Amino acid sequence: MKPFITIIITGTFAALLPLLIGDNPYITGVLITVLMMAALASAWNILGGFAGQFSFGHAAYFGTGAYTTMILLYQWNINPIPGIMAGIVAACIIALVTGSIVFRLRGHYFGLASIAVAEIVRLTVLNFEFTGGAQGILVTDVALSGLDLNSKNPFYYGMLLVLVITLLISAYLRTSKTGFYLQAIREDQDAAASLGINISQYKNRALLISASLTSVLGSLYAMYIRFIDTNAVLDLRLSIEIILTAIIGGVGTLWGPVLGALLLVPLAEMLRTNILGDALVKAGLVSETSPIGIFLKENLAHAHVLVYGIITVVCILYLPKGILVLFRRHK
Amino acid sequence: MTTHLLDIRHVNKHFGGNLAVSDVSFSVEKKQIFGLIGPNGAGKTTLFNCITGYYPVTAGDIVFDNKKINKLRPDQVCKLGMARTWQKVKPLGSLTTLENIMTGAFSKTNSPRIARQIALKHLETMGLADYTDKSAAALSIGLKKKLELARVLATDPKLLLLDEICGGLNHTETAAILEIIRMVRNNGITIVFIEHDMKAVTSICDRIVVLNSGEKLAEGTPEEITSNPAVIAAYLGGGTNANH
Repeated sequence: MKPFITIIITGTFAALLPLLIGDNPYITGVLITVLMMAALASAWNILGGFAGQFSFGHAAYFGTGAYTTMILLYQWNINPIPGIMAGIVAACIIALVTGSIVFRLRGHYFGLASIAVAEIVRLTVLNFEFTGGAQGILVTDVALSGLDLNSKNPFYYGMLLVLVITLLISAYLRTSKTGFYLQAIREDQDAAASLGINISQYKNRALLISASLTSVLGSLYAMYIRFIDTNAVLDLRLSIEIILTAIIGGVGTLWGPVLGALLLVPLAEMLRTNILGDALVKAGLVSETSPIGIFLKENLAHAHVLVYGIITVVCILYLPKGILVLFRRHK
Repeated sequence: MTTHLLDIRHVNKHFGGNLAVSDVSFSVEKKQIFGLIGPNGAGKTTLFNCITGYYPVTAGDIVFDNKKINKLRPDQVCKLGMARTWQKVKPLGSLTTLENIMTGAFSKTNSPRIARQIALKHLETMGLADYTDKSAAALSIGLKKKLELARVLATDPKLLLLDEICGGLNHTETAAILEIIRMVRNNGITIVFIEHDMKAVTSICDRIVVLNSGEKLAEGTPEEITSNPAVIAAYLGGGTNANH
């Protein structure tokens, strides 16, 4: 029962946060990204962490949700709520096709095939008329009765809701038969099969749960930004960022992916807006006109991927189980 | 209806041109302890893998509990009531001892509470109670073998296939495992086991099949097997070392 209570309490606290912040669109925007990455990494973690099936193509499900909702809205003016449902259905179809083919294989084949599927989805979207092709889809007016979608708060609560649902599902899975079976598959597939576990059925189950949640987040993101193209929602970079968030936080744990997002998103934001560089200058450590100061000003903003890389390497070397271990008491 | 629980009928297994199991037939009766012996490379583990659904057989039939099972997957075979252990133990490393056994118990229930009760019972009989919340990866080889036994017993099998369960164990540990095997049989579970340790095999088995180079060399009671000249020649070393 303990993890469920922790999730509800943390979720309630997070729900009260906008009241403290007040009307600050910038901070709210960063928090929305934190919640979204936390939810994406947690959803990925159900498949990658619990079942041990590393998907390198989760952008496919994110993009499928985003595009399905946007196309329905743009072409046929269909309300976002049925749009989100349609996104889940589309993502599940792609997941089922992918899973039934590649889960027969072992080891790294699923990882490789997941990249291939994501690329197929991306190239398909890029080359069709009704998906907007390379131009993407821009929607100027998103209407949902009773909600002011020009404010960021509905999206804050939307992302938070999906995150809480994802964490509750994860917590439930860990104590249930399905969770035991997924972990058995992760540890040893042959041993798992000998205990009566239908390997491909349980892997598919994990993939369907993970893909559905990822798709909902894609739909929310599309409604929030109101503009999508393949670079924003179907890129390999997004898939990698999801994995890194989970790995750096702690693969296979409940709170690891959340911790990863809490750390990485603000860090990327600080680098992007050059807060770090400015702080160094203000602290008098670096002169603004010195070569180092100029270098930092010009390049640090583009460095967040590099910093992700360094953190990942450090984590793999010194904290292979993720940063979450630092917060655990040693037995 | 026969009293046979497991029928191996003219089973062949080829890997490319390599004949691993060749026209092997035998029957295991209910409540028997059945030994499968033979030198390294005789095809014992290959035959186990065929019986439990890991390898498809090239030819022949495997009949378990009056059902043909040679087209079934390992998990389906397990559901019918056949469980196996591994020559090289396969603990679910990051799970605890209790969780390992619970994973087995889930094959007959969906409830974590009931699975836990079943697991605790087997933990107790196997003498693993002190290691309940220890990570399975940290157990010694002897304890891992016991854990594997407890885990397959939790699936509530009719037939237990043990692949060198005494391999790597000292005399005391071997004696303890053999004692457990007798107890398991007395609870009505049939056992087929592969073993290298001749003393262990002859002391416990009701019936023995000897494989050599993929073929059945002999079948009989332990006394018949240990006095069979062909077996002595092939397995015990040319007759000069028959008392080994």
